[in-house]
Amino acid sequence: MRGRYWLIYLLLLVTQILLGNFLNLGQLITICLLPVLILSLPISYSSPVVMGIAFVTALAADFLTHGILGLSAVGLLPVAAGRRFLISAVFGSEVYARGEDITVKKQGVAKMALAVLIATAVYFLIFVWVDAAGTRSFGFVMLRWFLSTTTSVVAELLVMGLLNGREDGRWK
Amino acid sequence: MPGKGYSHIISAVIFVILEIAAVFMLGGTRSLQNIWLNRATHRVLGAIWSGGENIRSYFGLREQNRALAEENARMTEVLRHLEGQKQALRGAIADTVTGHWRYTPATIVKMSRNSQHNYIILDKGSSDGILPRSGIITPGGVVGVVNAVDEHFCYGITIQNTLVSVSARIGHDGTVAPLEWTGRRGRGAALKNLPAHLETSPGDTVWTSGFSGIFPPDIPLGITGRSRLVDGSVGETEVELFLDFGALRYVSIVENLDNPAIRRLEKGGEQ
Repeated sequence: MRGRYWLIYLLLLVTQILLGNFLNLGQLITICLLPVLILSLPISYSSPVVMGIAFVTALAADFLTHGILGLSAVGLLPVAAGRRFLISAVFGSEVYARGEDITVKKQGVAKMALAVLIATAVYFLIFVWVDAAGTRSFGFVMLRWFLSTTTSVVAELLVMGLLNGREDGRWK
Repeated sequence: MPGKGYSHIISAVIFVILEIAAVFMLGGTRSLQNIWLNRATHRVLGAIWSGGENIRSYFGLREQNRALAEENARMTEVLRHLEGQKQALRGAIADTVTGHWRYTPATIVKMSRNSQHNYIILDKGSSDGILPRSGIITPGGVVGVVNAVDEHFCYGITIQNTLVSVSARIGHDGTVAPLEWTGRRGRGAALKNLPAHLETSPGDTVWTSGFSGIFPPDIPLGITGRSRLVDGSVGETEVELFLDFGALRYVSIVENLDNPAIRRLEKGGEQ
């Protein structure tokens, strides 16, 4: 089942690259699926491994999208580093005790949406701030952060079902 | 759980390493972010260096205080030394002895200029060694003669007094005659009792002769003007005095140290 998961993971990464290259929604809105990819990684992965995967994924997305290496990685690494704390805080620490992967079906849409929202907000907070590099006003940065976060959370919740498809094989 | 804490440290280290790597790649890829990161780096480094300097200064205060105390002590010593030199110099000035004359600097306390018998009061008295019949001079000319002495002040009559007569000489080696104030103008004086046959030319400088024993010789007094015969027997030459009494503030009291011996001789000769 892990093979299918990684296939979907790669497909979503390709989707992210395509979105970044061909979907232009203006200066204020950027759609990013990377936070949910990191959040949906198997629960058994340790933080260093998750951070490594996040780093490589972000670099690939950066390289194949806008060419600014490190921009997505700077934002995604804190999400990966805080992933364990976020999951424990939103879904409860028993998730790690049982070793179960998080899915919409088991955790519920509300908790999943909250976790995705927090992860995406953290990601875009750093991404938008670093991307502006002091050249944009605070209002513009905050507006872009808000619009990009909300738009991306909706898109991430839509694709989350694909990543959670592995639960059928494990929790029968 | 030591193992759990250890894994947290490893996670933190890996996070920092990867984040730094991402930031470096970002700075190397895009100049905008590079400039921004450099500015932020300089700001952080500036704050760190400033903080370090403040801490170092704080802990260096003891050493600075010690150095300042040493410097203070050294400066105090120098000041005391200079103060001693100043006192010695002041004494030397107060008792400047040039040849047979002693000069004492004095400040004018009061001076009249509007009467026929003008006077002057100076801030030096008997406690400063001032004696009656001492001269009062400035580099610009003769001021007057000390007439009476108090402990801390002395009273003198100025040359602008019709009772004062100064022994003067026309030129450095010319005729000697008494110089008296005419009483009509502030700087107007006259050389009196000149021999009738003597012809003086206007513009000659008049100096003290030194014969009076009150004033040293060769102090400039004024310039000669027109001459005339008085009563057909003696000549009189107008003199324009150099000294501007209105601008006077400081003077010197000059005492002839040979005066006692001269008086003794005079008394002996009279007997």
